[in-house]
Amino acid sequence: MLDKLKADFDEIIELVNRAPAPLQELAFKMILEQWFSANIAPKAVTPIPAPAASGAGAPAAPGGVPNAIKPFLTANGITAEILEKVFHPTGPGAQFLAASIPGNSKSTKLVNLSLLLCVKQALDSGSFTCTLKELRELAIHYDCYDSPNFSANLKTNKNYYKPRAKGAGLELSGPGLKKAGDLVKSIAAGE
Amino acid sequence: MDVAQALEDILEELVSIQKDINKLKTASVSGQALRKRVKEAHKKWLPVAGVLEAGSLVDSAQLQEVSGAWKAVVKLAGGAGSKKQYKVQLKTIIEKTESELLYKFIKGSAIQTVGDTLRKLVQPIGDPELLKYLDESIQCAETNCIRGSVVLAWCAVAYLVHKKLTSLSVGILNSEFAKMKADKGLMFKSFTKDYVFSTELDVQEAADAHLILLCRFLMYLDDTQYKHLKGALDLRNGCGHPTGYQPDPVKLQAYYADITQLVLLNSKFA
Repeated sequence: MLDKLKADFDEIIELVNRAPAPLQELAFKMILEQWFSANIAPKAVTPIPAPAASGAGAPAAPGGVPNAIKPFLTANGITAEILEKVFHPTGPGAQFLAASIPGNSKSTKLVNLSLLLCVKQALDSGSFTCTLKELRELAIHYDCYDSPNFSANLKTNKNYYKPRAKGAGLELSGPGLKKAGDLVKSIAAGE
Repeated sequence: MDVAQALEDILEELVSIQKDINKLKTASVSGQALRKRVKEAHKKWLPVAGVLEAGSLVDSAQLQEVSGAWKAVVKLAGGAGSKKQYKVQLKTIIEKTESELLYKFIKGSAIQTVGDTLRKLVQPIGDPELLKYLDESIQCAETNCIRGSVVLAWCAVAYLVHKKLTSLSVGILNSEFAKMKADKGLMFKSFTKDYVFSTELDVQEAADAHLILLCRFLMYLDDTQYKHLKGALDLRNGCGHPTGYQPDPVKLQAYYADITQLVLLNSKFA
């Protein structure tokens, strides 16, 4: 295996050099992780690998995250270690680990919960969505359900979600995915 | 009808009306616009009340109380009602609707759907012995007996852990327990119990906490997996003994996700 690594190393460095300077270290780490998971037999570490097949419902690697979520993880620099600190397992059946939701107010917590719920759903099925029913149930569980302001809070942060009809479920937009990525990293960092 | 959404909309409107009434400097509410808003809100309430009345998710006495307060507030809106009386009735409607109707409705509908979620998690399990416990556990969850559901699901975990450990033979098990007791590593140094089993049935007398620690010792579980399984056992113990703790359906789903992944569908326990 060492010979193969030596043979591939120049190519890896070339790929790393294509990334912007501040991201090169991260890129190097991710490519190496991918290289090892591709070259070491099945028991290799949880994959956080380069973008593969995407699209909602894309199948998960056995015991791993669905392929559809990998571009999100890559784009946000979320490694397997980070993800494992926030969700367990990091694939179908994922559950949010933290005992509380970050935020100083019910409205912030609710929005953060919706973002995390969409990531949880993506780990399960590959789509960054959640239903309002699910959100309400979890908001009560995490004590951030403010019924008269529930819709208004989501509306205030509507840029995080794709346009939707009243009462319809949520699907993360580009800014929502970015915010969700930041949130996952900050929770993992214990912030 | 999306009852939760409808109740949220009504509450949003009532809170707004309440603020406007509080701002009034008069002793009565005589303005047509405000009175009209109260009547409009009441029109939205009636179909929701009908749905709640037809279902069984909220307490009918609480529903009656809210309906009574609505009748009173609509009566007040028929003329120049007293501001003080408006405030009393609106406060009752808002508080009761939120705590006794909306919260109960959401929790109740979570109970109604929790069975489907749990069945999806255990769907790949084929062992009829395990399914016997899990089916009963899910039936408990569907009738809002969450603590019973937690305890019964743990029976499936204990069954599989016993099965796996006894498959090693009693002699090996005794020897592994002895090795674990001698291990002074961080994870095992607090384990000091002497176990000597004569038959496989004796294993059932061992504490589950010790059996899962042995699973960690035998590397069926890694540190993180052990930690989560220990958490699941703690929840089981919290539910199986007289405590004030009452887990909700969200907690139950997380528990099921853990036990299925860590033991019930873990190939090391197959």
